[in-house]
Amino acid sequence: MSAPPTTMRLATPRPGEEIDRARSFTFTWNGRTIAAFPGDTIVSALAASGERVLSRSYKYHRPRGVLTASYHDPGCFFQVGDEPNVRGAHRLAEPGMDVHSQDTWPSLRFDVKAVNQLAGRFLGPGFYYKTFIKPQRLWPLYERVLQRFVHAGHVPPDTPRVTVDKRYAHPDVLVAGGGPAGMAAAAAAAAAGASVLLVEEEYRLGGHLRWGGDADLAALRELRELVAGTPGIEVLTNSVVAGRYDGNWIAVVRRGLPGGAEQLIKARARMLVVAPGLIERPYVFAGNDVPGVMLATAARRLINLHAVKPGRRAVVLTANAEGDAAVADLREAGVEIAGVVDARTGGDLVRVHGHRGVRAVEVAGGDTIECDLVVTAVGWTAPTALLNMSGDQPTYDPRAARFFPGALPEDVLATGGIAGDGTRDQLIGHAEAAGREAARRAARQRSQTRAMLPAHANGHGGSWPPADEQPVRLPELPVDPHPELFRASTHGMVDFCEDVSSKDLVTAIGEGYDSIELAKRYTTATMGPTQGKLEVVNAVAIAAQATGRTIGETGTTTWRPPYAPVTLGALAGRPWEPVRYSPMQPWHESHHASPLIAGAWIRPDRYGDPAAEVAAVRTKVAVIDVTPLGKLDLRGPDVPNLLNLLYVNKWSKLEIGRVRYGVMCTEDGVVFDDGVTGRLGPEHYLMSTTSSGAAAVWEWLENWLQTTHPDWAVHVTPVTTAYASMNVAGPASRELLERVTEGVDLANEAFPYMQVRTGRVAGADGCVLWRIGFTGELSYELHVPAGYGLHVWETLMDRGADLGIVPFGVEAQRILRLEKGHFIVGQDTDGLTRGFSAALDWAIKLDKTDFVGKPELAWQNADGGGPRLVGLQPDDGTVVPAEASQIVEGQRIVGRITSSRMSPTLGRSICLAQVEPRLAKPGTQVTVRLPAGRRIPARVCEHLAHFDPDGSRMRV
Amino acid sequence: MSDVTIIARSPIAPAAPVRVETGWEVSGCRSDAALTITDCTPLTKVHVRAPWNGAMAKALGVPFGLAARENGWLMVGSGPGEWLVLAPPGTAEHVAGRLTETAAGSAPEEFVSVIDLTHGRALVRVTGEQAPDLLALLCGVDLDGDMTPDGAAFRSGLAGVATDVVRDDRDGTRSYLLHCERSSGQYLFDSLLGAGESLGIGVDGFTAPGI
Repeated sequence: MSAPPTTMRLATPRPGEEIDRARSFTFTWNGRTIAAFPGDTIVSALAASGERVLSRSYKYHRPRGVLTASYHDPGCFFQVGDEPNVRGAHRLAEPGMDVHSQDTWPSLRFDVKAVNQLAGRFLGPGFYYKTFIKPQRLWPLYERVLQRFVHAGHVPPDTPRVTVDKRYAHPDVLVAGGGPAGMAAAAAAAAAGASVLLVEEEYRLGGHLRWGGDADLAALRELRELVAGTPGIEVLTNSVVAGRYDGNWIAVVRRGLPGGAEQLIKARARMLVVAPGLIERPYVFAGNDVPGVMLATAARRLINLHAVKPGRRAVVLTANAEGDAAVADLREAGVEIAGVVDARTGGDLVRVHGHRGVRAVEVAGGDTIECDLVVTAVGWTAPTALLNMSGDQPTYDPRAARFFPGALPEDVLATGGIAGDGTRDQLIGHAEAAGREAARRAARQRSQTRAMLPAHANGHGGSWPPADEQPVRLPELPVDPHPELFRASTHGMVDFCEDVSSKDLVTAIGEGYDSIELAKRYTTATMGPTQGKLEVVNAVAIAAQATGRTIGETGTTTWRPPYAPVTLGALAGRPWEPVRYSPMQPWHESHHASPLIAGAWIRPDRYGDPAAEVAAVRTKVAVIDVTPLGKLDLRGPDVPNLLNLLYVNKWSKLEIGRVRYGVMCTEDGVVFDDGVTGRLGPEHYLMSTTSSGAAAVWEWLENWLQTTHPDWAVHVTPVTTAYASMNVAGPASRELLERVTEGVDLANEAFPYMQVRTGRVAGADGCVLWRIGFTGELSYELHVPAGYGLHVWETLMDRGADLGIVPFGVEAQRILRLEKGHFIVGQDTDGLTRGFSAALDWAIKLDKTDFVGKPELAWQNADGGGPRLVGLQPDDGTVVPAEASQIVEGQRIVGRITSSRMSPTLGRSICLAQVEPRLAKPGTQVTVRLPAGRRIPARVCEHLAHFDPDGSRMRV
Repeated sequence: MSDVTIIARSPIAPAAPVRVETGWEVSGCRSDAALTITDCTPLTKVHVRAPWNGAMAKALGVPFGLAARENGWLMVGSGPGEWLVLAPPGTAEHVAGRLTETAAGSAPEEFVSVIDLTHGRALVRVTGEQAPDLLALLCGVDLDGDMTPDGAAFRSGLAGVATDVVRDDRDGTRSYLLHCERSSGQYLFDSLLGAGESLGIGVDGFTAPGI
């Protein structure tokens, strides 16, 4: 099959062209086959094929073509396969690409949505503040209509996901911009010993030298060789510095990874060198968005990089050397020059004629020139974004018609076109000095940092040459005069992305939005994908003119990160979602436990029927994995002081081998955590906490020790996961443990309730055995060195088989503890539940000298305030109220259900509840309102425990 | 029960083939990749707390932020007044005993605690010149040779898990020991493997003494 025609491709190679004519391939554009060479962008290949209309504008669906031929070209956003909003003037064409225009129907050529232009007077600035509001009942219709006009591509739901890890980097010097100044600065910094990260937005280093003349190309080769040959420079092309944050925390986005993915690089640079060059600015005049109107740099890129004629007959408006060079390049490319309008001598354009393409241009003075290409070169915008983000306030210089850096912080330098003008050698000289100075300052910072690091204490890590204290002087750069050219005598597009014209801006200012920030938000000028790079200075100039102020007085809008679009995938990176497993997790999985996500832990919720598990605990023996229970190893002579301070009860007389239950409250008397603490030795204790409170309680202990009692000799070591913890519960639990335990007399007389021993279990030394129980049955909580956890568990299951041992999960445990009336912090208490509201009257020892929360608890005790925790049973035992069901009197809420389950042991529903104190008396009838609205009677129980309130079963 | 020989398990599931090394179940696989990861959880880990500037600190001889080898142990100054001693598997009782004797002899007046945390930590070693590149995908600390030279020790976040890092080069090749609380060990290992896939990481089994 023969290749499709490329009517605008130059036959003669250009000296600096970046296409490989030896190979060719094709891709499709709206179903048509397009020829391309390696090195072509999508747009250059389309332009070579004679395509002029490449998109439709946002609001009015006006035909659009090439404007800048760069990443930021607003008329070149395409759908490529499943990837939307591809910057077609930047993305390299690839074989087989499937490229489509976006948001056109039925086609790019005949777009029905262009009817919006007929409704233009109703779609002016801020129209959405005035339309699509009433009647409100039509909102669903408005949404459906507006959705059809959303101007973006689409992402199919089955698009494959690509995960790219974020990366951290710590360069001495980060150079933003890989043009001549950036390359020179990077090489100079690296030669001075700095590690350098050089970031360039385009696919290749070189900046404007790439499409320049012979001298530019020679300088380009030299600088590229210099960068390649200087060690210590990491070059990232097709990447962008997206933002600069405090302390030179810099976000770099690396594009073009497989699958269209991007990588976010978080760099902490000692020095930032900003060398972004200058961005050519469009001219505002009637018809400035018609396909065929483009910037001088666009024409030169197409001609010199891709060997593409941008048109056949051109009129050029020039105000500077770039425009003059464009005229020369156009001539060399065989484009007929129908007119050169020199703005430096008063020339100007009035309007372009044409709709789908330029047909003619009207110049000031009345002549109309037939042409198909209008090229403008009216000046530059300094992309000061990174400087603004560094805290700089660039100032406008009317002589040069652009902004310049102001006062930069110590860790930021600017070089290249953004800093001034001059010859190529002058600019490179400035950049080299900037690079050397950046390296010097970075070395000084490095020395200061090294001096602070423990790793370098006492001369470890070797010596380092001292930083040079003599600053490198940056030469002064001249500022070339440039006429201030922003808008012609007619109105035209200012923000091509947002379809905002100069007339819209003037109208907005006339309506009272007369500051640039207000005008921006009202019209959305600078709020589109280009984010002001092409339009902000024009917008400011037009606003200044409309308000009678200068550009300097008007100011600019705020440059905020990100500088360029970033995919959500890059920001997300690989999700870090730590997961914590018990040593017995493999057993749970192989025995089909239903997993419960409890914070970062995966716990077995049940293995089958929780009611059967409950029954096993009550009648035989069962075992639960409680490894997530917080465990803190406490050592030192002052541990009792710490326990007395932080628990509400007394600890001074806890003997070795004894265990005591304790509750911690915060300084406002609110219940914070509970658990048991056992004394293992003269100055050795083991504290347990709730699973979810483990880290918080550790922090709490350390906070009090380090800030209030640094004089106390206490060491706290978290050992939560040093032990695999399991609770063996049930009437046969002692019999089972006797089969596997050595060194511990398990008889009740030798090892009574609320005591602790250490010994060997299933051959594992160093086990801690607590005789405690959350379930209300005879039970032992084993803490086994974690590496042996699975072995001990499997041994228990094996040796207990004839006793009917089963595993039980968190759900069964919740039922068991509820039957026993044990509250759960955070379930039966909340952020306002003070100690006496949690039925802890028996535990709170107000006669202690002091403890955390005592004053508040003393007040609560005196005034009797706050709800009370009670056991509650619905009169109808078959009804299980949902947890958090309200307890009501009429329409007034007087309490709530905190825990609720069907009790397999009792064969009826049981609850814990918080109620007003006057309702807490046993026998009181209350009304529970179920979520669906039905109200049921329930009665306050005598005890919190619904089963074995005396606790006799635990003490056998 | 006294004659039962039990095997300890790491929180990190060993890659096949599985064998037993000094009482621990370990992976027997070998990798010749330029970048390798090894589960070193079987190593003895003994935690010491003492005044950061006292006699015990002097006797240990390793300040905060540094690690040093002595008598086959790796002593790590993991925090101010906090040390972790890494030793070959199965030596916890001996190591703890020696440290307790040192405290009694060198710092009898100081408050010193010695705790065996062998079972409480997951520990992996990453070795290869690209080890810093791997860690740079998970950790924000500057791993430049000057900022973290051989023997540097610090605590940071790796893949969202609080992790102690020790640079402990092997035969001139960059190597890092990473340890975290035990229950996050599998997650940390998987995170390192996932991030290291693009660098061609290989799993290398544990071989005693391992330190």
